[in-house]
Amino acid sequence: MNRRIFLLGLSGLAGCTRDRRPRLNVWNWSNYIAPETVPKFEAEYGVRVRYAVYESNEEMLARVMGGNSGWDIVFPTDYLVQPMLQQGLLAPLQHDLLPNLHNLASGFQRPAWDPAMQWSVPYMVTAAGIGYNRKLTPPPTAWEDLWNPRLRGRMTMLDDPFDVFAACLKRLGASINSADPAQLKQAQALAIRQKPMLRAYLNAEARDQLVSGDILAAHMWNTTAQQAIDASPDVAFVYPREGYATYPDCSVILRESRRTELAHKFVDFLLRPEIAAANALAARTTTTNEAARALFPPDFRDNATLYPGADIVARGEWAQTLSPDNQRLRDRLWTEIKAS
Amino acid sequence: MLLLFAAPLTVICFYSAMTRGPYGGFSLPWTLDSYGRLADSLYFAILLRSFWIAGVSTIFCLVLGFPLALFISRAGPRKNLYLTLVILPFWTSFLVRTYAWMFLLRDTGLINTVLQKTGLIHDPLPLLYNDGAVIVGLVYGFLPFTVLPLYAALERLDPNLLEAAADLGATPWHTLTRVVIPLCAPGIRAGTILVFIPCLGAYLTPDLLGGGKSVMVGNLVQNQFTSSRDWPFGAAISLTLMALVMLLLLLFMRGNSEEGLL
Amino acid sequence: MKRRALPVYAAAAFAFLYVPLIVLSAFSFNASKFTVWEGFSLQWYAAAFHDPQLAEATGNSLIIAVVATLLSTVIGTLCAYGLWKRKSPLLAGSLYLSLVTPEIVAGISLLAFFQWVFRFLHVRLGMHTVILAHISFSIAYVVIVVMARLRTVDPKLEEAALDLGANEWGAFWHVTLPAILPGVVAAALLAFTVSFDDYVITSLVAGVDSETLPMVIYAFARRGVNPVVNAISALIVFGLGVLILLSQRLQKT
Repeated sequence: MNRRIFLLGLSGLAGCTRDRRPRLNVWNWSNYIAPETVPKFEAEYGVRVRYAVYESNEEMLARVMGGNSGWDIVFPTDYLVQPMLQQGLLAPLQHDLLPNLHNLASGFQRPAWDPAMQWSVPYMVTAAGIGYNRKLTPPPTAWEDLWNPRLRGRMTMLDDPFDVFAACLKRLGASINSADPAQLKQAQALAIRQKPMLRAYLNAEARDQLVSGDILAAHMWNTTAQQAIDASPDVAFVYPREGYATYPDCSVILRESRRTELAHKFVDFLLRPEIAAANALAARTTTTNEAARALFPPDFRDNATLYPGADIVARGEWAQTLSPDNQRLRDRLWTEIKAS
Repeated sequence: MLLLFAAPLTVICFYSAMTRGPYGGFSLPWTLDSYGRLADSLYFAILLRSFWIAGVSTIFCLVLGFPLALFISRAGPRKNLYLTLVILPFWTSFLVRTYAWMFLLRDTGLINTVLQKTGLIHDPLPLLYNDGAVIVGLVYGFLPFTVLPLYAALERLDPNLLEAAADLGATPWHTLTRVVIPLCAPGIRAGTILVFIPCLGAYLTPDLLGGGKSVMVGNLVQNQFTSSRDWPFGAAISLTLMALVMLLLLLFMRGNSEEGLL
Repeated sequence: MKRRALPVYAAAAFAFLYVPLIVLSAFSFNASKFTVWEGFSLQWYAAAFHDPQLAEATGNSLIIAVVATLLSTVIGTLCAYGLWKRKSPLLAGSLYLSLVTPEIVAGISLLAFFQWVFRFLHVRLGMHTVILAHISFSIAYVVIVVMARLRTVDPKLEEAALDLGANEWGAFWHVTLPAILPGVVAAALLAFTVSFDDYVITSLVAGVDSETLPMVIYAFARRGVNPVVNAISALIVFGLGVLILLSQRLQKT
C-alpha cells in the first residue's frame, strides 16, 4: 500500500513539474499522419498533444469502452460509430467549431452511418483488393482469380472474417453486408474450397512476402499494397471487377474528454487542405478531403492504387454495422472455416 | 500474515468483475445461452486439438528443460549466471522472437536457404505455417517456465544421495529415473502446469507461426473479444475452459501422494 | 553420471535459445531494410536511440517491472510459505484460478474491474493500473516456483528452531528463508521476465502515459520488417548480458 501512495505522489509531483500548457490526447491508427502535423498544431495553439497509435479497432474500443481511458480523440472505422454512440461514448460535434467541414469530398458530406455528421468526421478511406506480382500473366482482375489453381500455395487472404466474407460474397454477386444465411453459407463454402490453396491468412505480413516474392498474389488493403509497391516495382494492385469493400475511418471526440473545444480545433485542423494533403502524402493513404486532393503533385493525384477513377470508386461498397445475429452467424461460419 | 489475505482478495475481486461477462458485457439481457452455444462438436474438436498441441509442447519443454536445469544446478558458483542467461532472451519482445522464428522457418528463410545451398534438399521444406512450427514456437517461448522450477527443485538435491545410490550398485540411468526424478517431482509438476495452461490459451503463436489456418482455443477466445465483439461468448468459452482445466488439475493432484501443488 | 554429455547438451540448449537472437542481431546491422544483406550499417541503432517514444517506453517498462517484481515476489513468497504451513483452499483456489485464466480474459476482467472502480474513485488508467495488473498475474508464478522449492525443505528444521526459542518470524527469517533463497531468486527472475515482456494484459489496461516497451515494439513490428526492432532487441540482450557479467565479476571480488 505504501508503495502505491509513494508512486502516486511521485507522479503527482512529476505532474507539477511538467509544463502547464493544455494537453490533448489523440489516438490514431499507425501511419496515418504526417510527422509535422502534430508539432504544427502544438505551435499554432500553444498546447501539447500526446499522439499515440493503435493497430486495430478492437484494441482501441476495448480501452475506450469504460469511459476512463484518458483519450480525447480516436479514429474508429465507420461501422463502429453507431455502436459507440449507443454505448454513450461519443461527444456531439459542434459544426460552428468546424469551419473546414466543407472541404470534404461530396461523397462523404452525408455519410451513411452519420448523415448529419453529428458525431463523426470522415478522415481517410481504405479499400480491400488484390495485390499481385507483375510476373503473373494474365494479371488477376477479379475475386474469382484468387481461386485459380495456378496460385496454389503462393497466395494469402486477409485474416479478417469481414474481408474474407466480403470477397466471397462479391464473387457471388451479393452485398458485403449481407445478412442472408443462404448467401453466407455459399460464401463459406467458397472459402473452405479455397483454404487448401492458401499459404496462410495474413494481414500486414503479406506485404513483406509479396515484396520478397514468396507469394504471387495477396488479398490486401490498398494502403498496404501501396507500401509494397513503394518497396518493389514488381508489385501491382487491382480493384476486383465484381466490387470490393471500403472502410472509411472517422475522427470522433470522446464524451469523457475534458477538452472538447480543443479537440474540435484539432479535428478542424486536420480538415485544412494543406494539412490533409500533407497527411495523405506522408502516410500514402486515400483522403476524404477534396480540397486536399487539389494540392497533390500529379503523380500522387492519379495514383491508381489510392485514387482510382470514378468508375472504380463506384464499384466500392461501404462496410456497415452488422446486426448481432448477423455477426453471430458470420462468427460461427468463420470458426468453421478456420477449423476445417 | 495479513498479506496472505490481501493477495487472494484482489484476485477474487478481479474475477467477480468477470462473472458479469457471461451474463452481460456487451449486450444487456442476462442470459446463459452463450453456454448453450458451446455444446457443439465444432468447439469440442477445437478443444481437443488445443489439448494435443499444448500437451506435445509441454512434453518437449520438460524433456528439453530437464537436462539444462540439471546442468545449471550443478554449475557451482556460476549458477545464477546461467539462470539469467536462460532468461535473458525472454526480455526481448515475444513478438520479435516469433518474427525471428518466422524468418528462420520461411521458404526463403535461413534454414531452407542453408539446406539448399549445401545441397541437402532440392525444394524448400514447408517449415512454416503448420502445427510443427507452432509447437517449435511454443516450446521456445515456454522453456524457462520448466527450467526455473526444475532448477529450484534440483538445486536442493544432495549429491551424497547420488553417491549412495551408486555405491549401492545403481547404474547412472537407474539413479536418474529412480532417485533424481522422483525427488524433483514438485518441480516437474510445477513446470508442467506453468507450460501446459498458458499453451492452451496461446493465440499469438498459433496465429503467426500457424498462418491463421487452424484455430486453437486461444484464437477462439481472442476472436470473440476482438472482431466478433461478443464478449459474453468469449467469457463463456474462457470460463468453461478454466473449469475444465481446474478439473484436470484436481485429478492431476489427486494422482500424487503429496497433497497438491499449493 | 553422463559427465560429458550434460555440458554439451547445455551448450546446445543455450544455442537453441540464442539462435533467433543472433539472427536478429545480425540483421540489425544490415544497411537494407529487407532480408538481403546489403552492407554494414549502424543506422538502425541511431534511429533507436533518437526515438523519444522508445526511451519513454523502456523507462516505463523498467519501472513497472521492478516495482511489480518486488511486490509480487514478497507477496508470493509469503503466500507460498503460508500455504506450506497451513492449507488454505481459498488461497490455493484463487491462485490456481489466476494461473488458469487465459491472458486476454485476465486483461479484460482487470480492465472491467478498473472501469468499475473508476465510478467510485475517479481513477484513470495509468502506470498504477498496469503495476497492479502485473502483480496480480505474477503472484501465482512466484508461488509455484517457491512452492517447488519449499517442498524440498524439511519442516522439522523450523520446528527445531521454535523449540530452541525462536518466534515464528525468526524461524522463518533465519531458517526457512535462507533454505529457499535460490527458489525465491528464480521466482523473482521469472516475475521480472513475465512483467517486462507482457503485452496482452498491459495493452488492455495501460493509460495514456503508460506505454511500455512491448507495446512499442509490437506496434513497430506490425508495420512490417523494421530493423529498428532488431536493433532494440539486440541492445536489450547484449546490454543486459554485459551488465549481468559485470555484476558476476563484482560479486567475485
